[in-house]
Amino acid sequence: MKFLSLVLRSLFRSKRRTVLTVLSLAVSVFLIALLQSLLGTMDSLTVSGGSGTRLVVQDKASFTNVIPQSYANFLRSQPEIENFTAFQWFGGEYQDPRNFFANFAVEPETYLDVYREECNLPSIPPGQVRDFKRDGNACIVGQELADRFGWKLGDVVPLRSSIFNITLRLNVRIIFKGKRKSDEMYLAFNIRQLQEAVPWMKGRVGAFTVRARNAADIPRLCDRIDRNFANSAQETLSITENAFNLNMMKMLGDYSTMVHSITGAVLMAILIVTANTMAMAIRERTTQISTMRALGFRSSQILSLLMAEGLLLSLMGSGLGIVMAILAADVAAKVGGSILPWMADFIITGETLLLCVLITLALGLLSTFAPAYRASRRPITDGLRAL
Amino acid sequence: MTVFLLPLAPYLLWLVYAALFHPVPLAYNWRSIWVRKAGTLSTVGAIAIVVMIFVVVLSMAQGVSRAYVKSGRDDQVIVLRQNARVEMMSSVTLAQARLISTHPLVARDAYGPLFTEDIIVSKQLPLADGTGSLTVTVRGTTLAGARMRSQVSLTAGRWFRPGLSEAVVPQSMQRRYRGVELGGTITMGGRTWAVVGVFDGSGSVYDSEIWTEVADLRQAYKRYGMDSSVAVRLRSPEDVPAFVRDMEKDVRLKLEAKPEPTYFAELGDAGKPMQVLGQIITAILTVGAVFAAMNTMYAAVAGRTSEIGTLRAIGFRRREILASFQWEAILLTTLGGILGAALSLLFNGIKSGGVNMKTWSDVGYAFAVTPGLMAEGVVFSILMGIAGGFLPAWRASRIPVTEAMRG
Repeated sequence: MKFLSLVLRSLFRSKRRTVLTVLSLAVSVFLIALLQSLLGTMDSLTVSGGSGTRLVVQDKASFTNVIPQSYANFLRSQPEIENFTAFQWFGGEYQDPRNFFANFAVEPETYLDVYREECNLPSIPPGQVRDFKRDGNACIVGQELADRFGWKLGDVVPLRSSIFNITLRLNVRIIFKGKRKSDEMYLAFNIRQLQEAVPWMKGRVGAFTVRARNAADIPRLCDRIDRNFANSAQETLSITENAFNLNMMKMLGDYSTMVHSITGAVLMAILIVTANTMAMAIRERTTQISTMRALGFRSSQILSLLMAEGLLLSLMGSGLGIVMAILAADVAAKVGGSILPWMADFIITGETLLLCVLITLALGLLSTFAPAYRASRRPITDGLRAL
Repeated sequence: MTVFLLPLAPYLLWLVYAALFHPVPLAYNWRSIWVRKAGTLSTVGAIAIVVMIFVVVLSMAQGVSRAYVKSGRDDQVIVLRQNARVEMMSSVTLAQARLISTHPLVARDAYGPLFTEDIIVSKQLPLADGTGSLTVTVRGTTLAGARMRSQVSLTAGRWFRPGLSEAVVPQSMQRRYRGVELGGTITMGGRTWAVVGVFDGSGSVYDSEIWTEVADLRQAYKRYGMDSSVAVRLRSPEDVPAFVRDMEKDVRLKLEAKPEPTYFAELGDAGKPMQVLGQIITAILTVGAVFAAMNTMYAAVAGRTSEIGTLRAIGFRRREILASFQWEAILLTTLGGILGAALSLLFNGIKSGGVNMKTWSDVGYAFAVTPGLMAEGVVFSILMGIAGGFLPAWRASRIPVTEAMRG
């Protein structure tokens, strides 16, 4: 500790160089933190309040196909199933195709119960629940989504779907507040609206979401459902809701490979830059270091002083980068959330912070070790002669 | 890119002018770059990495849109239900399809009209690496359809025959998915389809589709009396507007016809998010790289104070010194840019895939590192040289002669 001021002094011997290196490190760490958190946020979305106890029953050939609603009869007879609801992706657009948000047709009788964690059922006034179940044109929307378009209870929302080539006029009956902003970014309405308007949807649904009484029953349940419909005209594929969400995320593309490759390349670049700075800083001080050793500093002490300097440099750089990233996360969540709904939950994750700490350590040590070791082992007479 | 280049153009022109007509010691700068090997290599390395990331990420976006651009022909038109946007969401009745096939503008070859009615369904296929499954497009088409898509050629086996539930699979899918090899079977629509042929779509979106016979697929999926879309080749590209008008105006049809290039360009927007992401990433990294270049150049100027003094003493003027060091910075970063662009070539042709959010199905593409993108990367590195080199070069030009000579 008593050498701290010495380390600081040496580090700021050339202020401009140190500042430029720190800034260069900071923007790179800033980028890494944002990209890694983007992945982390995407991962966290595959799991939600009740998703652990739910499974999705979809068509085996493709989740874009519809399955008979009569499959519900079999589900109803399974003792492990607590409740289930049907849904169909509507793909509706509000006013402009660019106003993208998720919207589904669901069964209002069971929907709220199956998704009670996500829509925070206990907090919804009973009057609203009753309106939602009674009104055939009712819809439920999340607070965040309602805020975005300025919807209030009782408003009429026209939704136009290019998949079904129809426009539905829906009444907002429930505005719910969820645990996460991204949970509030969707709209759901009565599936009978869709089944009455579109002939080929009659008696058909996109998929069932099933809530098991016990999470441990899910594998057995999936197996039994799929076996029951095996060899029928429409076989089913039952998977846990987390796996279903993971599949959906996978569709966004293989961003994780891309992010990890970029992180690796950027790390390489900042390692080179820091190593160069430290090499310059140490080379300039050859005489100084030899003088210190002549005064009685041991070479191990010199080595650790120089290493501390490198660590401090990388610490300042990544510290600044992380602070910038945390400040930018709010902006990213707001701007990104208006384009991609799930971005509304964007935060710098704990894993990212941990990764950044590791990066800092590795960067400081790796960049400084070689020149510092060489400097600490140099014969004193050599170094003094270099004057 | 041009947004940044335009305001800098006068300065760049002056630099070129100075290099040509003033005695700027460029050879001296070039040699100096190699005196400080470690510093030079580190800057070149850092800039090469940034330029490489820039070129590679944009080459992904380029690859996506190229897959779509390659798919269209400007004398072919695709006919959809109005407002359907994608084939999968569209429906055209068989009666309408017959009517379109007899349109006088439709071209013919030795076998008949170049007209095809297609049905699009999707199928979930397991990935070869076992990490899950993705949805791919299955196209029920006709042999005329296979002839019309001139990018597509059969590489093994044979085309499907009607009535036998047979499928042909693109070569590029074989590596990405499990169970689609020649002689394999695919289960869908309650039938088992034999894979009887392998085709090569030469990088178009057809490289991401399984093809079967349209009547077989219609029966399996119970789309009686319905097609998804109709595609025709016209006698010449000039006939397209007239044909499109007929499709919309004919009361028996009332369909939306789009020239294939337009249709695929709309789908190709899928590469946009990646492009934007790539630009944001590069913008951030560039700032870091500029700081690194600045560092190296400041060190260069500081280490050569007495040399600068000598140059001034033997008659070089301030602005010539400025130009000289600015050129040194540009040379340095351009080396990095060229190295980065060259490294990015390693990624050229790498196959990847992503799901198109408009069709919900997986589309394979290859990284397309084009000369244009590489040139853009190099221009980019020149910009970094200007940004990173100006302040150090300015400083070099301001050092008083007497002080500089003292060292």
